[in-house]
Amino acid sequence: MLIYDLNANPLNNTEWGFPLTECFHITSFALSIGTIMMVDLRLLGLGMKKQTAKQLLKDTGLWTLAGLIIVITSGLLIFSSDPIHYLYNQAFRAKVTALLIAIIYNYTIHRKVAMSDFSPGVGAVTGGISVLLWVSIVFGGLWIAFV
Amino acid sequence: MSIADISHAIQSLGLMTYIRESGYTYPMIMSTHLACIAVFGGLILLTDLRLLGWALTDMPISNVVNGLRNWKRLGFLIMFTMGFLLATSEMDKYYANPYFILKMCLLVAVAVHAFIFKSKVYDHPERLDTQPAIPRVAKVAATWSLIVWIGIACLGRWIAYYEPPKNNRTAPVVATASVQP
Repeated sequence: MLIYDLNANPLNNTEWGFPLTECFHITSFALSIGTIMMVDLRLLGLGMKKQTAKQLLKDTGLWTLAGLIIVITSGLLIFSSDPIHYLYNQAFRAKVTALLIAIIYNYTIHRKVAMSDFSPGVGAVTGGISVLLWVSIVFGGLWIAFV
Repeated sequence: MSIADISHAIQSLGLMTYIRESGYTYPMIMSTHLACIAVFGGLILLTDLRLLGWALTDMPISNVVNGLRNWKRLGFLIMFTMGFLLATSEMDKYYANPYFILKMCLLVAVAVHAFIFKSKVYDHPERLDTQPAIPRVAKVAATWSLIVWIGIACLGRWIAYYEPPKNNRTAPVVATASVQP
């Protein structure tokens, strides 16, 4: 049987391990969500109007991906500090569900619309759903500590 | 009146007491503060990355700076208001927290950044577009902004992990309703 000793995890037995991992988590979600928000502002017709959504998506795609890789990696590390606690936390479950939906949405519908000549209505709905999804994940993350 | 007294008076105000003792208002404010980091903090990062010539290089600097300016202002306003409410509602705990004090110092560095670079970089980004290379002043502004904002985000997290010395007789002991994450 595999025995996992929580106390052997540097996130639990060092003073800086946990907060440092959280700093990576926060900075990288600012990067990944911020780049997506820029495309969303354009889809919603609320900003970056001198650029096409297609161009914005192309120029931010790698930064979004890099941010997502770091945010998920640091998230998994935080999860490893107390897996059972997180697995039974309703906010965590809701957050992970929203994250999976958001990632699939981002690389399918969101991408398809941003790359097309979308009508203002379609753009607004697509961008609006994206903003709501990503913001809800951040809320879910914080509520883990409050449920 | 000592700083401890002033801090205690601030957090004893009706609104601050309500926020501290509320069930859901406190985490709602905190979530909004955090969501602003994602939505608007990311826009700050992107502006910095453009000024450094690392991202969005297909588009003119002016399009990025002008296109995001008002959104960053709105974001800062919401983020600051939420942060102000969070800090003042637990001022007893915050005023002597070294990470909180350092975070406030970095906020001053943000103001100094605006004072120095607003007219030179951000008010006239079109001037940067006509240059053969990104001027050094723009890169200094972006580097300053990156370091200070990432520092502010990290210190915000570290505030929660500070434990005051147990024999500190000047710090009033006040029970709070909040849960430390």
